[in-house]
Amino acid sequence: MINWPLYKRGIRGSWKMLIIFAAVITMYFSVIISMFDPALGSALNEFAKAMPELMAIVGMNPESAELVSFLEAYLYGFIMLVFPMLFCILSANKLIVRHIDRGSMTFLLAAPVKREAVAFTQIKVLVTGLFALITYATLLGIVNCEISFPGELDIKSFILLNVGTLCLQLFIGGICFLCSCVFTDSKYAVGVGAGIPALGFILQMMANAGKDLEKIKYATFFTLFDSDGIISGETFAIRGMLALFAGAIVLFSTAILIFSKKDLHI
Amino acid sequence: MSVCEIQGLTRDYGSGRGVFDLSFAIDQGEVFGFLGPNGAGKTTTIRHLMGFLKPESGYCTIDGKDCWKNRVDIQKTLGYIPGEMVFFDDMTGTEFLSFMAKYRKADSNGRTKELLDRFELDPRSKLRKMSKGMKQKVGIVTAFMHDPEVLILDEPTSGLDPLMQSRFIDLVLEEKARGKTILMSSHMFEEVERTCDRVAIIKNGRLEAMDDVETLKAALSRKYVVTLENDDAAAAFAGEGLRVFEVSHNQVTVIVQNNIKDLISVMNRYPVVNIAAPNQNLEEIFLQYYGGSGRS
Repeated sequence: MINWPLYKRGIRGSWKMLIIFAAVITMYFSVIISMFDPALGSALNEFAKAMPELMAIVGMNPESAELVSFLEAYLYGFIMLVFPMLFCILSANKLIVRHIDRGSMTFLLAAPVKREAVAFTQIKVLVTGLFALITYATLLGIVNCEISFPGELDIKSFILLNVGTLCLQLFIGGICFLCSCVFTDSKYAVGVGAGIPALGFILQMMANAGKDLEKIKYATFFTLFDSDGIISGETFAIRGMLALFAGAIVLFSTAILIFSKKDLHI
Repeated sequence: MSVCEIQGLTRDYGSGRGVFDLSFAIDQGEVFGFLGPNGAGKTTTIRHLMGFLKPESGYCTIDGKDCWKNRVDIQKTLGYIPGEMVFFDDMTGTEFLSFMAKYRKADSNGRTKELLDRFELDPRSKLRKMSKGMKQKVGIVTAFMHDPEVLILDEPTSGLDPLMQSRFIDLVLEEKARGKTILMSSHMFEEVERTCDRVAIIKNGRLEAMDDVETLKAALSRKYVVTLENDDAAAAFAGEGLRVFEVSHNQVTVIVQNNIKDLISVMNRYPVVNIAAPNQNLEEIFLQYYGGSGRS
């Protein structure tokens, strides 16, 4: 099903972007982890106490003083949601619809390679990129914490948190990739593909903001990613994670199906 | 035996655009010219043959296989030159050719090298920095490198200089001699005249005419613009019984069909300053013959 030459090309085309995102993540991780102070509670925690509403909007309200909660609150409520999401949007656009829009898809389809294989290979490129980015963040978090605060990090919970993030990002990647296959025009594909996750994220921020708006959380898939619940091992949070993963598979399969059946004016 | 068959192919884009109830067949070993003005539906037809588009009604087959359902199978032995060359922007020509060979699992042997030599192409520069002609050559090499049995060529010589056009014609003739079946859309008279066995002309998505090239050539009419010394001489010249297309000041445009001698003898008796054969596009020439309006 997979076409290796195309896969290799896709990876070669994504690594620059991956390095940029990895660099940004490295910077945030280093700065935020250095602000953790196990004895006193960090400056950020003070800030969160002073302005709980504002910090809650971007998910920065740690449940406990543990290091893993600290990371979850300050890195996995915004940074690790937004940057991999950007990667999904850019990557999905580049992998399918841009080739159709420009016309370079012609060469990929004027060959004895099934359209299903083309789409599957490109999905694999996107998933590889996401996997690499989140694995890197996981290792970065563990190494950074072990150097600065040996033994403080609950590594098992932290890894689970990253698996949860991967599921969420796969779901977002699925949305972007589906849009890339449905639309023939790059600008609509990006508009809708970026619009849906962005809207979901904004709704979640609104739901976080206050009691009155809390019901909004039922309108966004971000609610399925319950990072607090994941690190405390709640069954409901794990189910949400699995639901996102299953959703991603449905989205990617639909994308393959649509791409295989659609009329291409190339 | 027909290798490529189009039967009742229809795709309506609305407002008269698309292809409508198009039918024709191309025989094994035949070079088939596919002509028509811009927007006539040539590329739409080719997209159906390539399996990019699903016919709204009708069907097309290559080697008896349905172009939409069995497209992967058909592509194994098919070569295609697209009407527009858009590559992956960050590759060099060499990288692209080697990528395409691996991508389609083709064993090109010495064929790629031979084609590069033939077209004097050095593919080592970046594709996006290549001139239109160079890109076209890369496209030609890509289409021919796996030695396909059927070739679909959409304006294959656009952007090539006359020398390379002529080399391309030689290549097509060689492939034809090796029994390959070729569909070629073109605007170049020489290209069609030298390579094609039969020609189909489509206009507004419908088949307008289809005939042997020899038959068409015999009946071809051409325009000549004769410039005389003054307007009076031009007026008198126009009254000589030749087929006059138009008179404008001291210039007379005449239509000649197998009777060039008549024109020459008339010209001998007049103060002719100059004579020119304006470029007529191929469709115009053929459509004139068929009594259709060559001007769209």
